[in-house]
Amino acid sequence: MVWFVQCVGIFLMLTLSPLMWGISQTVKARMQGRHGPSIVQMYWVIAKNWKKETTVPEFSSFVFRLAPSISLAALMVVLITVPVAGRVPNPWPHNLLTLFFLLALERFWTGLAGLDSAGTFGGLGASRVTTLGTGIEPALLAAVAVLWRISGHTAIVPLATVLHHNPSNLLPWLLASASLAVVLLAELGRLPVDNPDTHLELTMIHEATLLEYNGRFLAISQFAMTLKLTAMITLGWVIFGPDLPSLWANLAVRVLEVGVSAIGLGWIESRFTKLRYFQLPAYLAAAAGVGVLAFYLLAGGLTL
Amino acid sequence: MIFATLLALGVIAILGFRKYSWSLVFTLLLSIGMIAYALDGLWHGAGPMTIAGTVGISPLRAWFLLVLGLVATMSSWYRWGYHDQGQATSLFMPFFLLSMMTVILADNVWVFMSAWEAMTITSFFLVTRYHQRPQVLKSGYIYLVMSQVSAMLILSGFMVMGTALHSLNFSIWALYASTLSLPLKSLVFGLLALGFGMKSGVIPFHVWLPRAHPVAPAPVSSLMSGAMIKLGIFGMMQFLLFDLGQTARIWPLLILAAGALSSLLGVLYALMEHDLKRLLAYHSIENIGIILLGMGVMGVGIDWHLPGLVALGLIASLFHTLNHAIFKSQLFLAAGAVEQHTGTLDADHLGGLIRNIPGIAIGFIAGSLAISGLPPFNGFVSEWLTFRGLLGLASHWTGPMALYGLGLAMVLGLTGALAGLCFVKASGVIFLGEPRREVAQHRIPASMVWPILGLAGSTLILGVVPQPLLHLLANVDPRYPVAATSLLLPVKTLVVAAMLLAVSAGLIGFSRALSVRTVPRWSTGRIPDASMQYTSASFSKSIRTTFALIYRPHRQLVGVGGLTPDFPEQFIYRGGTRPVWDRYLYQPLYALIWHLAHLSSRIQAGPVRLYLAYLLGTVGLMLAILH
Repeated sequence: MVWFVQCVGIFLMLTLSPLMWGISQTVKARMQGRHGPSIVQMYWVIAKNWKKETTVPEFSSFVFRLAPSISLAALMVVLITVPVAGRVPNPWPHNLLTLFFLLALERFWTGLAGLDSAGTFGGLGASRVTTLGTGIEPALLAAVAVLWRISGHTAIVPLATVLHHNPSNLLPWLLASASLAVVLLAELGRLPVDNPDTHLELTMIHEATLLEYNGRFLAISQFAMTLKLTAMITLGWVIFGPDLPSLWANLAVRVLEVGVSAIGLGWIESRFTKLRYFQLPAYLAAAAGVGVLAFYLLAGGLTL
Repeated sequence: MIFATLLALGVIAILGFRKYSWSLVFTLLLSIGMIAYALDGLWHGAGPMTIAGTVGISPLRAWFLLVLGLVATMSSWYRWGYHDQGQATSLFMPFFLLSMMTVILADNVWVFMSAWEAMTITSFFLVTRYHQRPQVLKSGYIYLVMSQVSAMLILSGFMVMGTALHSLNFSIWALYASTLSLPLKSLVFGLLALGFGMKSGVIPFHVWLPRAHPVAPAPVSSLMSGAMIKLGIFGMMQFLLFDLGQTARIWPLLILAAGALSSLLGVLYALMEHDLKRLLAYHSIENIGIILLGMGVMGVGIDWHLPGLVALGLIASLFHTLNHAIFKSQLFLAAGAVEQHTGTLDADHLGGLIRNIPGIAIGFIAGSLAISGLPPFNGFVSEWLTFRGLLGLASHWTGPMALYGLGLAMVLGLTGALAGLCFVKASGVIFLGEPRREVAQHRIPASMVWPILGLAGSTLILGVVPQPLLHLLANVDPRYPVAATSLLLPVKTLVVAAMLLAVSAGLIGFSRALSVRTVPRWSTGRIPDASMQYTSASFSKSIRTTFALIYRPHRQLVGVGGLTPDFPEQFIYRGGTRPVWDRYLYQPLYALIWHLAHLSSRIQAGPVRLYLAYLLGTVGLMLAILH
């Protein structure tokens, strides 16, 4: 039964992730006073790119063609390792640390593809994406360390179970979730770190590495992007959200939560402006600092 | 057996002095023999056994022998096709290999120190192979001097230990060293940690490493980075962690600090390099730091009585030792192939080599993935275990100490991400994109490509199926049984890796079926050219700005020519980073030594009469004391 619910959950994440993208875009458009594109626009965009002819830039090698597939593969594994309904049995690989290594793998290939496109903007994007990664990983580790200190696990399911049934250490727990949320905005390439809707190459971060992609490769990359957004937000809710006794109820609540997050994301993106690139280290250091503070509270270094 | 091989080697070396191939055959056979012997020792490895108190094997020694054998096999194979052997390389290579083997197997101080010195001297001659080039001899001398200082420290440590235990035999030490008093242990620990740390290139004793490794021929660099610096790790492991056992609690904390410093600064300095081999040399410092972090976890486990952490730290550091040996020699061999193919190692002159030498490029990219600790390659498994160990420390301690543990884990996270950045840069700038300049295109023989691909294959295999070796490692020290969970966790990473491989194989199969058209790249409407691409300097520019405190970058923009200074005809730009350690640690030290030498020159001015007076005075003083 657990396996079946998990499979249904994975299927839902795969099919609904472009919709989630659409919801946040629609919210953004409405808050800006526009009507905006249809809520299912992302499905059409991916389908259109899938059907179009595919070209590659001169001087690019097979690395350029492999990168979208490998990024998608890494994200698919991330997706599979997220226990959507919670309570997946033990042999299931669902370790939080492993998951962040998979995200690093995706970043590595994105960077390689950027340099392989032999243009200025590919290199620019590759440099920025990987540099951003150096700020993200320590901050993620601080949050993981807090969660581990509370629960004694890095595997997601036992970790989440302990957190749900032991509401002590509330303050460090809240601080860690705040830190993780702030870092995830950077990891997912959303405002105030990166603007996914930008059309100006000089301000791009992740988009710049995709600049030379079109046709099927672009469709794969766009799908991977929406998948990453959905998977990481679902993961956040699995760890920090409520846990219901029924598996199906859990799954339904997850869908609702992700929908609400999409609306929240749209709201954040309308309220905040993009930070300057060289302010990002401070942004990420602040997130890491919150994580460290939470850990220090937990380790008995500070009492309030 | 050792003496028989030594004798045979001597005969073969003399016979083969003119025909280099003898040297190759010998090193190849020797290294394959080492692997076999090591695997045998690990498999049956119960207790240590010795031959007449001179040499012996134990599971720990067998592990390092395996590391050495693997690297040596591949670099010997690679030497078949490598362009210039030179008589010196052919002559000293087998001796270098033999001395490293003897260091590992040595069972008393005499054998160990003679082999250690032989290793230093043979490698000095190998490093100065291109002595006619500028700076090579100077680098060699710096290497030699620092190695001698390290040998002196090690010998003093050995003498203290030997006097205290009334034996120069390592098997005796293994039994009784843990009974020494705490101050004596601290003295030995300090001396040996400094000595072995210097040989491993731990920051701040690293300055010889980025000078000596890059100037050597590629097979030598791969042996030095892959195996020789690991012998410092071996020494620390055997004498400090295994023999001494419990010490003052400050020592493992210092090892952890040295590991964190080496790993972070190593990768930060690597990022500023555009010479491929210097970049790789700095990454050796980084990885020694990661190994030290694992060893520190083990040391803390011993001192705080946490057997689970001891086992975790031991497995993490030993497995990372093997992994680093494999992928670092793979990367150095690939760098040698790039140099042989193009005649240069400057990343900013290269580009697009993946079309000319695809095998080397694939080997380099695989090595990059492994060294960045990404799944499903072997670096991932050992870095993952190190993370687990550090997080274990962080959650065991309380108060400020917990913060120390967390800081170490975060430093390792930052190091991993920076290593990823650095290797995206190195593989991307050198192998991908458009060639930046016209370079030579010499042919690379298959005998240079296959060893690299073989090493790449083993990084993948060890990443996907680490279990057999992890189980062998669990037997290395029977005093610390391994908790089942710490070996179970990589099982899950294995499942992840298998899934990753399956999914990407499916997707790759799909994307290959796609027929695509090649079009010009987008360059905002200008005519694109190679100089529009990012270079290694521009790629790491943001890091240079962010970490300006460490790099102390400087830049200079000078206008030349033109009618007035405000409108120059052209600009000259100079920029770079300051070598902080050289300037603030080694140059003052050097000046101090120079100053002391000047002072001492006053008492040895040269006249014979003065020296006779010294002699007379000494004899008189001795007589006065004796009576």
